[in-house]
Amino acid sequence: MKMKLTRVAFRNLSRNLRRSILSGSAIAVSALSIVMLFGLIMGMRDDMAQNLKMFYSGEISIRHAQYEEFERYNPIHLTVDWKAVEPVLQQNPALEAIVPRINFPASLYINGGNHPVLGVGADFEREKSLIDLTAIVRQGRIPSLGANEMLIGATLARDLNLKLGDSVTMLSTTAARGSNAITWKVVGLAVFPLSALNAKYVWVPIDRAQYFLRMGTDVQDILMMVKSGYDEKALAVEIQAEIQQATGTLTDVQTWKQLNDFYSLLEVAQYLYYLIGIFFFLLGSTVIINTTMMVIYERMREIGTLSALGMQGSELTRLFFLEGAIVSAIGAAVGVACGMLITWYLSKAGLDFTDAMSGIDIEISSVLYPKLNLWTALFVYVYAVVVSSTATLIPSRRAARIEPVEALRYI
Amino acid sequence: MKFIVELALKNLARYKRRTIITAIAIAVGLMMYIIVDSMLIGAEYESMRNLRWYETSSARILDSGYWENRMQLPLDKNIAQPYRIIEELRDEGFVGTPRTTFSADMILSSEDFGEEGNLPVLITAIDPRTDNDVFRFEDTLIEGRFLRPGEDAVVLGSWFAEDLGAKVGYWVTLVTRGNGGFYEAMDLQVVGIVNCPNPNVNRTLVMMPIDTAGDYLAMDGAATEINILLPDSKDANGYLVEIQSIIDQSDDNLAVYSWEALAKDYLAIAEAKRGGTGVILFLVFIIAAVGISNTMLMAIYERIRELGMMRALGMTDSAIHMAFIIEAGGIGLIGSIFGVIFGAFGNFFLVNYGINFGMIMRDMDMGYRIQSVLKGAWNPSAIIIAFLAGFILSMLVAWIPTRRALKMDIPACLRHQ
Amino acid sequence: MKRIFLIIIILIALIPFALSAITVEEIINRMDAAETFSTSFSRGEILSTDRFGQKTSTFNAWARGADESLIEFTSVAERGQKVLRTKGEIYLFYPDAQELIRLQGAALRQSLLGSDISYEDMTGEKNTLAQYTATIEGQESIGGRFCHIITMVAKSRTVAYPVQKIWVDMETFMVWKAQYSTQNGRLLKEMEVLGTMEVDGRILPSRTAVSDKLKKDSKTIMVLTEMQIDPPLDPSIFSLQNLTW
Repeated sequence: MKMKLTRVAFRNLSRNLRRSILSGSAIAVSALSIVMLFGLIMGMRDDMAQNLKMFYSGEISIRHAQYEEFERYNPIHLTVDWKAVEPVLQQNPALEAIVPRINFPASLYINGGNHPVLGVGADFEREKSLIDLTAIVRQGRIPSLGANEMLIGATLARDLNLKLGDSVTMLSTTAARGSNAITWKVVGLAVFPLSALNAKYVWVPIDRAQYFLRMGTDVQDILMMVKSGYDEKALAVEIQAEIQQATGTLTDVQTWKQLNDFYSLLEVAQYLYYLIGIFFFLLGSTVIINTTMMVIYERMREIGTLSALGMQGSELTRLFFLEGAIVSAIGAAVGVACGMLITWYLSKAGLDFTDAMSGIDIEISSVLYPKLNLWTALFVYVYAVVVSSTATLIPSRRAARIEPVEALRYI
Repeated sequence: MKFIVELALKNLARYKRRTIITAIAIAVGLMMYIIVDSMLIGAEYESMRNLRWYETSSARILDSGYWENRMQLPLDKNIAQPYRIIEELRDEGFVGTPRTTFSADMILSSEDFGEEGNLPVLITAIDPRTDNDVFRFEDTLIEGRFLRPGEDAVVLGSWFAEDLGAKVGYWVTLVTRGNGGFYEAMDLQVVGIVNCPNPNVNRTLVMMPIDTAGDYLAMDGAATEINILLPDSKDANGYLVEIQSIIDQSDDNLAVYSWEALAKDYLAIAEAKRGGTGVILFLVFIIAAVGISNTMLMAIYERIRELGMMRALGMTDSAIHMAFIIEAGGIGLIGSIFGVIFGAFGNFFLVNYGINFGMIMRDMDMGYRIQSVLKGAWNPSAIIIAFLAGFILSMLVAWIPTRRALKMDIPACLRHQ
Repeated sequence: MKRIFLIIIILIALIPFALSAITVEEIINRMDAAETFSTSFSRGEILSTDRFGQKTSTFNAWARGADESLIEFTSVAERGQKVLRTKGEIYLFYPDAQELIRLQGAALRQSLLGSDISYEDMTGEKNTLAQYTATIEGQESIGGRFCHIITMVAKSRTVAYPVQKIWVDMETFMVWKAQYSTQNGRLLKEMEVLGTMEVDGRILPSRTAVSDKLKKDSKTIMVLTEMQIDPPLDPSIFSLQNLTW
């Protein structure tokens, strides 16, 4: 009996192909849009998370135990012994990449005035495992280790009227709590993916930063990237213990999520977008429900005929439900597949919003890469099928209760 | 013609269920579009508004020398007679309030705070009588009271107070340099705590009365800035030109700066975000459009037999065409009206009550400056566009299948399933 | 004879009176004079303590008159850094910087090597009377030395410390102690001489403590290990050109 019903349902659907396509396409477009929206949200979130990891904290950040407590006093002397800590981290099986950094507030001395900047001492060779430096350096080149060369944010360079080849003197407080100044040559203009950084960042080779800041071979922060499959939080605790055991000093080891200064922003953005996602679902659902109901009412006469021919109410309900389920399954499959395809394409090609930024004379690209996630796609598929099949239940159950005569009269 | 319209309307009334379902499809689509648009605009507008309400005001008058050295907060590059200029501005219909900002070392005593400490802070000296004409701090007071003129008191942002462990009634000492460079120390009592929706401000805010600060810092009645409230209008530049011409009459070398100029870096981020917002709105529009057109298409196809009947009875093709389109337009109109009503209704709650995100964001420094409650914003152009789109799309969608049906021969129409 | 004796007695009796009768202007002028030399060379160290611990920097200093001085740091962390003070201006030389940094305005308020001494404290015009109105408050013995207590109130707003209270040795006119406060009398900084030395018959401070009274655990001790008065100095030491050698 069930087999027979399914066959009837398929025949009905193929007999009125246009109607099937119409209702299926509504479901497909809804599913497609939702898949794309989630791809977009994930892309935005990943983009932000990526930037935070690349420019602020890595996945795990290792700093001096008291750095955070005294952060507002600019405690440049609270450093981590890179030479001692690095071998400990290298032994950790979870390690994917490790990058030493020195973040220091400084000022550039230009025409008798001081301009505050954020200095970063970086080991550019190691940075390559974390940052795509060639994409960031827009003009010129990466500073060489051992040379007094700097890479400067493009907006900052414009504000200070600095060009490639210019020399500029930078002042900062040192780890010896004295002051120091050094003259750097601008060898590269950088466009960082966060525009706030473009207006502040100045990157210099880490060995020169250590010399400048009188840090010896110490660093201010060690950024660690972790192989996938490890629990960052547990790993941070483990690493802290390992470092303490090996070097005898306590360090502050935190995950990028714990350093929540910026992570909280992700949370907000995500809530906002999930909220919008809910509206998408609601809208998609009404489209699906409306289309299905339309189909049922359109077929009232058919229902009348069928019941006049002796088909039972429950069977009718099942038939219509089956038809709806088949249309939904196919529509949602097509929609989710198309959505995944577009998202996949965009995740490679990127969505370029650079035009929106054209007011600024330096081109700051803002390309967003949506992210394809199989689980969300599956979720959207199941959701779409469940909602649209359920939507058919309401009118098809009504259809079952209608008297044949009345149903036949129905236009 | 009258007959056609009557027929269309009669049909609308006769096929109530179909009319309702199709209209609901349109209404829901419209409503969603309006609400999502409101949320996105609201988030952006709110962050801009928070910037103006609590940080930059709409426009600010500064000494031109101050602007060049604004990083140093130079007290000597000031506006000598702010109240005279505010008076002149008022004569032209602008509301302004003076402020003086300066940096200081805040000293915490172990008596109140448990342990001694000092930290660098930024102080905003305000005129308690007029500040709320331009800024909105008074509404955000959560503890204690607001400042009174001439008293030795401060009001703190709630996150800042929380970080310090400061409570109403505690004393703090500020050590700073007065106008000219002399050292000055002031003992001030915390009289109030504000919870400012602009997180950047809430995390750092220290406010004191401008006359008290003026006495300590030897400002002789001067202020470093005059903040101006401008009406919401597209023509902000016109106002700026007008204000500039007013202040050009004074002897000082003053200049007016728009809030966009004051918050340049921040706005660049917002620009980039707008791109993503556009994509979301586009997706909403697509779903709504497909929902509307599919339901409408189905409603038309369903009635091809009826259309055949009308042709068999001798009605002209153009009259039938017209009747169907008027009918579709009618459904579109009903749906759009309900969509706008529901959308406006939902939006009313979104604008006035908002969606509460709770205390999830603390030390953030970039991107949207949204406080825990996300509120929507009225965007009349989006509502009008949604209304017209719902209405026109319905007729457009009806056009194609009707024309195709009219090309079929009458028996084919009548046989149509 | 008897008369002469009487006169001597009166004179002796009058000595304290005569000493206290010295005008405040004279005290200040002699105090300024005691602090300035036609030329000088000194070696010393700065021990500064703050919330993060203690550090020591060593320096050589040359000075000429009241307005010109050059300090060169010799300790490892600051080796080769120089601070040149000419009339009213301060220039910083750093071995790795290709240009001199001229300090002006608010930048002068920065502390010298993280100590409690600011660049501005170094520039402090020696012509004290031009900037302050002084009055004698009384006399007091500090560490066994009799001192005038003088309160000085700033004449303009452009000096850093609105009120200074100083203890000036009645005999040598050396300042033993100084308190710097705001207009309303809140103590900001305190200076105290902990030890002295004699150079060419002049008594000079050898250990001086400066503490920021508003910061907890903050203290700077300046020690002079060597001092030469009136050594022959090439005037070009104090030129900008010379700074970059």
